[in-house]
Amino acid sequence: MGHAAVRRYVAIFLAALLALAGVLLGLWWAPFVIGVALGALDRRARVALPAGAAIGLLAWAIPLAVVHARYGLGPTAASLAAIMGFGHQGVVPVILTLLVGTLLGGSGAWLASGARASALSRNIGARHG
Amino acid sequence: MTAESAIAEPPAVMTAVAPRRRRAKLPLLNLVGAAIVSAAVLYVSFFPVAGLPALGAAFNPTTGAWTMAADAQVTDRMLHLSGLQQPVRVVLEKDGTAHVTARTDHDLFVATGYVHAKFRLFQMDLLRRQGAGRLSEIVGKVALDTDRFELQLGLLRTAELEWAQLPASDPLRDALLAYAQGVNDRITEAESTHQLDAMFTLLGYHPQPWTPVDSLLVKGDMTQTLNFTDTPLVMALLNKSLGTDLASEWFPILPPNQQAPYDPGPYGKVEPPQGIATMTAMTDAQSASAQAVYERLAALPAGLVSKGGASNNWAVAGAKSASGGALLAGDPHLHLTLPAIWFQLTQESPGFHTSGVSIPGTPGVLIGHNQHIAWSLTDAQNQQTFFYMEKEDSKTHPGMYFWNGAWRKYITVSYQIPVLGGATEHLTVKWSVHGPVISERGQTTSVWWSGNLPSQDLGVLMNAGRASNWQEFREALRGWYSPTHNFVYADDKGNIGLISAGYYPQVAKGQPWMPMPGTGEYDVTGTIPYDDIPQAYNPPDGIIWSANQRQVTSSYPYYIGTASNFFDPGYRANEIHRVLSQPGKLSASDMQALQTDTHDFLASEIVPVLLQSLSKEQLTPQESTIVQLLRNWDFRMEINSSAATIWSYFYGWYVYEVFNPWWKSRAVPVEMQEISDTLDQDLEAWTLHDPSNRAFSAPGVGSRSAADAQRAAFHKMIPQIAKDLGKDPNSWTWGRVHLRVLENLAEVKGLNYGPRPDRGDGRTPLAAGDYPSTHGPSWRMVVDWGSGTFQGIYPGGQSENPASDWYMDRVDTWFAGRLNPMLTAEQAVAAGGIRTWDMRP
Repeated sequence: MGHAAVRRYVAIFLAALLALAGVLLGLWWAPFVIGVALGALDRRARVALPAGAAIGLLAWAIPLAVVHARYGLGPTAASLAAIMGFGHQGVVPVILTLLVGTLLGGSGAWLASGARASALSRNIGARHG
Repeated sequence: MTAESAIAEPPAVMTAVAPRRRRAKLPLLNLVGAAIVSAAVLYVSFFPVAGLPALGAAFNPTTGAWTMAADAQVTDRMLHLSGLQQPVRVVLEKDGTAHVTARTDHDLFVATGYVHAKFRLFQMDLLRRQGAGRLSEIVGKVALDTDRFELQLGLLRTAELEWAQLPASDPLRDALLAYAQGVNDRITEAESTHQLDAMFTLLGYHPQPWTPVDSLLVKGDMTQTLNFTDTPLVMALLNKSLGTDLASEWFPILPPNQQAPYDPGPYGKVEPPQGIATMTAMTDAQSASAQAVYERLAALPAGLVSKGGASNNWAVAGAKSASGGALLAGDPHLHLTLPAIWFQLTQESPGFHTSGVSIPGTPGVLIGHNQHIAWSLTDAQNQQTFFYMEKEDSKTHPGMYFWNGAWRKYITVSYQIPVLGGATEHLTVKWSVHGPVISERGQTTSVWWSGNLPSQDLGVLMNAGRASNWQEFREALRGWYSPTHNFVYADDKGNIGLISAGYYPQVAKGQPWMPMPGTGEYDVTGTIPYDDIPQAYNPPDGIIWSANQRQVTSSYPYYIGTASNFFDPGYRANEIHRVLSQPGKLSASDMQALQTDTHDFLASEIVPVLLQSLSKEQLTPQESTIVQLLRNWDFRMEINSSAATIWSYFYGWYVYEVFNPWWKSRAVPVEMQEISDTLDQDLEAWTLHDPSNRAFSAPGVGSRSAADAQRAAFHKMIPQIAKDLGKDPNSWTWGRVHLRVLENLAEVKGLNYGPRPDRGDGRTPLAAGDYPSTHGPSWRMVVDWGSGTFQGIYPGGQSENPASDWYMDRVDTWFAGRLNPMLTAEQAVAAGGIRTWDMRP
């Protein structure tokens, strides 16, 4: 594994920690911001998007897992499902929750990487005139 | 290059340019796609869309709805409340029953406010919003009609007046302020720990600070639910469509059937009521106006207009009790919701030693006991709503009405109603001397409602809860206005009593059971003197009871309402009286059994008559089976009883058979269901005592008797039951058609309990009317002063959090008809399994 790859994984790891800290502090949108930062560092969507999505997923999944470990999620999940009109299918709000976290991280990373790639493309185009 | 190759291969210049353009466009398209997706994700995360809450705020695991998991866990705690003067201890039993012990009365109410808000804040917020006309702010325009009506009716105005008129020295003032402080302490804590009820998160709003006016609004809600009625409008429509003669005969002031009033007299005043005219015909304009108001009220959600009450209470004197001490039983019947309307607690302080149930949002115990007395209540049902047709002349006196010989300006009050997702609604409410104008369609109509009389009923309750004997209890209730209640009483000396305390509006003349002219001559002039209202103390037979029946006999000299919907038909009261009157001593377990009694008094009267009417009929095998089932029936509406189902179908068909031809021929604009209580009474009375009444010979059916109508109803109902339940009468069990549902207060169907088969019906002491039944015994309490035992149960649980073990943990016990012991704080500690909250200033 080259130095670049190591740096990339370290960056992703640190980004995940930051996102998690943000969510734990109540900043539930932190995965999006961290995703944006990640995407700005790497213009390749095929790298930034999954990395951002994974960060978002972890940043929301870990606190949820902690809630489950401390209090048990079953009754709460079933109640939320009932409120949402899904009977008592507790898996629905769990999936929805993880999906929102994933989308926040992934979309942030995609947006920034896309912006950077577009800017780079315009620069190249301008140079080739 | 051949021609083919020239076509197949584009010119060199083209191949060089096109991929470069595509490469240049791809990053842009990628960015546009990312921007669209990001915008969508952010939008649904921050803002509610298509009925879903803002997903980010609502579902994040740290501050979103998942925090209800942590909120559901109740542990030992030490906490600081800013409003406390001294330390307070709260002990929570295994089922969440709270025991609040404080060193000052002020601290008692601070802690009570905190405890209520900890477990019921969303319910409290809904209740105050309903009264203040602020539901649209959180649910949108779907609640706008309700908000408009509530502001028109005047709950907010009355609550504000009550607070403004409360003297600074009145202990209620400090109680309400302390209570609000406790609620706000909890709101602050819940906000900071992200443990607001999940419904706040999902609906995307935060609760405003609690105020004393909010507590008074909650009281106003209950008053409205129990005694704001549309019956005068119904009477007007019946009078117009059926004609004065039939309306007078079928919907009389005094009940047509035999009832069991608890106060037989003699009464303090001997003159008959003066100036009450017999029913006279209405004009077309009056009728059209009544129709307009009736339709408007009918369109409101259930619960805003009282449709008749159903509650039981009774007491047995020590001399007739097996334990030697007085017995008391009470089960107020209300809309059964999750969370329940009740919260169980004990309150211990220098001034209070009460145990029972409270209404979240209000500071005291409403039904319960102290060290010396116990009490419960039922709705007294006297008429407390009067409609007035204002005289106007828009040409000569625009914006004015004529009253007491002069033209007067309406008072106007303006309100803003914030609407979620829409523009703020501006509402102007006009008030005449009678009350708020609630309709200007054709005829301007205002309503006089005793709920709009400012009164300090919460203070009255607090004083009643501090009484130690009948005299103090009765004196405390002197200030009680509305809703009028039958307060049953039993004390530790073996005494029992019952007093129907409240406001009994009296009019100088006119027909108060219909809309009246608003020109002054027909106004409410006052109330019945306190000594003359229905009451009894230590009656000679040692029993006393109420079940929303008319409390007094026909010789009572005051008008208190008509038989039509203001009072119950009396079947529950008759059954309770029948059981209590039997020879021998009664015990607490007898009280408990009577609370779950499923004996249908009306069935016990009518079924034998029906069987007699069928005795000479040629019956099919199926009909013979049905008759046999009825013949062997004990008149109990039990889940496994097929006869109960047959009876229920039969009586419905019997009413329909007799009255529907009239309804059709006279085009009566009121649903029969709306006045079924009165029609039941009429039919009962005619069947038993007047079987050739002209009502049986409706237009189009020819001359016939009660027996003819019974036979017709019997034959017509069978295909209906067979269609609903199959051909075998033995399989027509009551539990198949009679179900009970406890409805989630926020109308989230997935959080309801049931439907579950249940016994009883609308006429049995175990009240369970309607299909499914959503109304019934909201709290059952039995007190035995001889053995010193206090027991109670309500359907539901202490917490509104559906993830909590205390959301519906009491439901099975309630369904089974069992009761839980009402412990003191010391007994609760000794029983174990408690959680303790030590509260410090």
